[in-house]
Amino acid sequence: MFLVHTPLSNMAACTSRVREMMGLLRILRHFPQNERLLSTSILRHAAASDGPPKFTPPTKPVIIDKTQKEASLRRFLSPEFIPPRQRTNPVKFSVERKDMIQRRKVLNIPEFYVGSILAVAMTDPHVNGNLNRFVGICIQRSGKGLGATFILRNVVDGQGVEICYELYNPRMRKIEVLKLEKRLDDNLMYLRDALPEYSSFNFDMQPVHYEITGDVPVSPLKVKMKPKPWSKRWERPKFNIKGIRFDLCLTLEMMEHAQKWAEPWRPYDMLKEYDTFSLEEQIFKEVQGKSQNVNSP
Amino acid sequence: MTALTCRFIKLADGLLRGAPVTVCRAGAALQSRAPVIQCIRTHRTNTWWDEHLTEDNASFLKKVVTEEYKQQTTDKLNPLKDEPWPRHEWVEGSRRVGLVAVKLGMMPVWTKSGERHVVTMLQVQDCHVVKHLSKEEYEGHTAALIVGGKNVSPFHRPEGYLEVFRNAGVPPKQKLTTFCVSDNAIIKPGTPLYAAHFRPGQYVDVTAKTIGKGFQGVMKRWGFKGQPASHGQTKTHRRPGSLGPGGDPAKVFKGKKMPGRMGNIYDTTHGLKVWRVNTKYNILYVNGSVPGHRNCLVKVRDSILPTRLENNKNPPFPTFFADGDEEIPEDLYDQDMFQFGEPMAE
Repeated sequence: MFLVHTPLSNMAACTSRVREMMGLLRILRHFPQNERLLSTSILRHAAASDGPPKFTPPTKPVIIDKTQKEASLRRFLSPEFIPPRQRTNPVKFSVERKDMIQRRKVLNIPEFYVGSILAVAMTDPHVNGNLNRFVGICIQRSGKGLGATFILRNVVDGQGVEICYELYNPRMRKIEVLKLEKRLDDNLMYLRDALPEYSSFNFDMQPVHYEITGDVPVSPLKVKMKPKPWSKRWERPKFNIKGIRFDLCLTLEMMEHAQKWAEPWRPYDMLKEYDTFSLEEQIFKEVQGKSQNVNSP
Repeated sequence: MTALTCRFIKLADGLLRGAPVTVCRAGAALQSRAPVIQCIRTHRTNTWWDEHLTEDNASFLKKVVTEEYKQQTTDKLNPLKDEPWPRHEWVEGSRRVGLVAVKLGMMPVWTKSGERHVVTMLQVQDCHVVKHLSKEEYEGHTAALIVGGKNVSPFHRPEGYLEVFRNAGVPPKQKLTTFCVSDNAIIKPGTPLYAAHFRPGQYVDVTAKTIGKGFQGVMKRWGFKGQPASHGQTKTHRRPGSLGPGGDPAKVFKGKKMPGRMGNIYDTTHGLKVWRVNTKYNILYVNGSVPGHRNCLVKVRDSILPTRLENNKNPPFPTFFADGDEEIPEDLYDQDMFQFGEPMAE
């Protein structure tokens, strides 16, 4: 349906223009119903007839493509595909990417971020041939290419346990995302110094399903810490942590003292800039294309 | 206007160290009692290839050169134009050529039992045999083949260097190495060499120039332990300590490990297993690490370790020819290696 705003009463005032509009409307009505919604701004202008028409900025055309499912419209490229900024021959990265895509065809590696809760099953020769299952929150994703790893943390019988898994290890059987969410930071290593309740997750936790459209929800959770000393000085600006409740554990003087190690020139350092936009697009197309080649019959 | 320079000549009567060197502007010869340096006026003759060319000429030359390279490489692949030398069969005790490759980087590899190893990727870029030296020419014991690596532009190389390649009909290469080869393994100059020359399961030795570390102290260069950081050490934490025994020799022996320039020398890693060979991009996946930085040229040859001779039996001899006799798949894997397209078997 088209959005039409021509009150027929104004026809007398601007006849010629409106006649064109009506003609246009008739033509437009004859168009078959397609999935694209368009709002024409031309028709709006015809409504204001007293004096010079006030300029109303045209509404942006909202294109809702209902042919594809909303979930597949989201573009996510796993961070280990993006090559680091090095003087390496791009042939090396492309050959490695081929291997990664091959592996992804066999094992489904879902989209997950630091802060999501995962359940991982690996084959273990010491477990009677059965699978070794571990549930935990992902606190770090590092490594590029085939050696990409992620660390899962959980508290088991009062003991904090962190296991570093390799995404492309052939012993990896299943990676399941129980809860997909992001946190305020990229690196949750400070959970080691936080109260254990923030790192403990039930092994029998059921996956939380919800349709995700647009961006992944960012949990605004701020974590309470154990008393100092911590394993690292998390209040220092180099870690740039937003997910800790500093007001409960540190005084204002301590926060200001920590600002001594601030490096305010960092965001303006051009030598450290790494623009991956075009690289990401190219790699995304490659990954999508190759994975779809197998899916299509 | 040509630039005038001065050329200093050292006279045979010894050079007094620390004697002041006088520079003469007009170029007149200077004779004085002590100093032994004479100046001669010369014209500077060094120039670069496109100093006196227009931009059009320079770009045309570059284009012509790349086309010529392509033509040369394709010519060498054509067996009619270029009659190859007779090929022999592999015999125990025969030595064959090696390759010159470019070190791309490293990546992990898993075996079927789940063990993780690291491999270095070596890409064979435009490897050609450039010259053949017979037994008499080389040293009297074995024949030799000179092999060249990556293609390089001819504009910044001296004429003598380019002549060798012109005789072979091959584009000029960045690195040339000599391989000692038995007589049944000689190859005609101009034949290209590919990564399929090596097969998975073989063992190779890789030689390359190590990363230069500059002037380094004794702890980094030779692995000395140094001295403790505290407990009264006065200004001595990374020093070599004693230089040897005392009054009896009353000297420091030759070859004493001392600080100095480290790295930037040729070094060989022996007995590296080849895990995988990619024939499309000509990449060898070689176990472990290899000397040299990324994108450096390395020399790869069959291993000489006596315990690895069994694995190197029946290789493609004298080399792998891409004439189309045998069709090999794009990727050749070792038996133990886990291939990523495989379903999870274990």
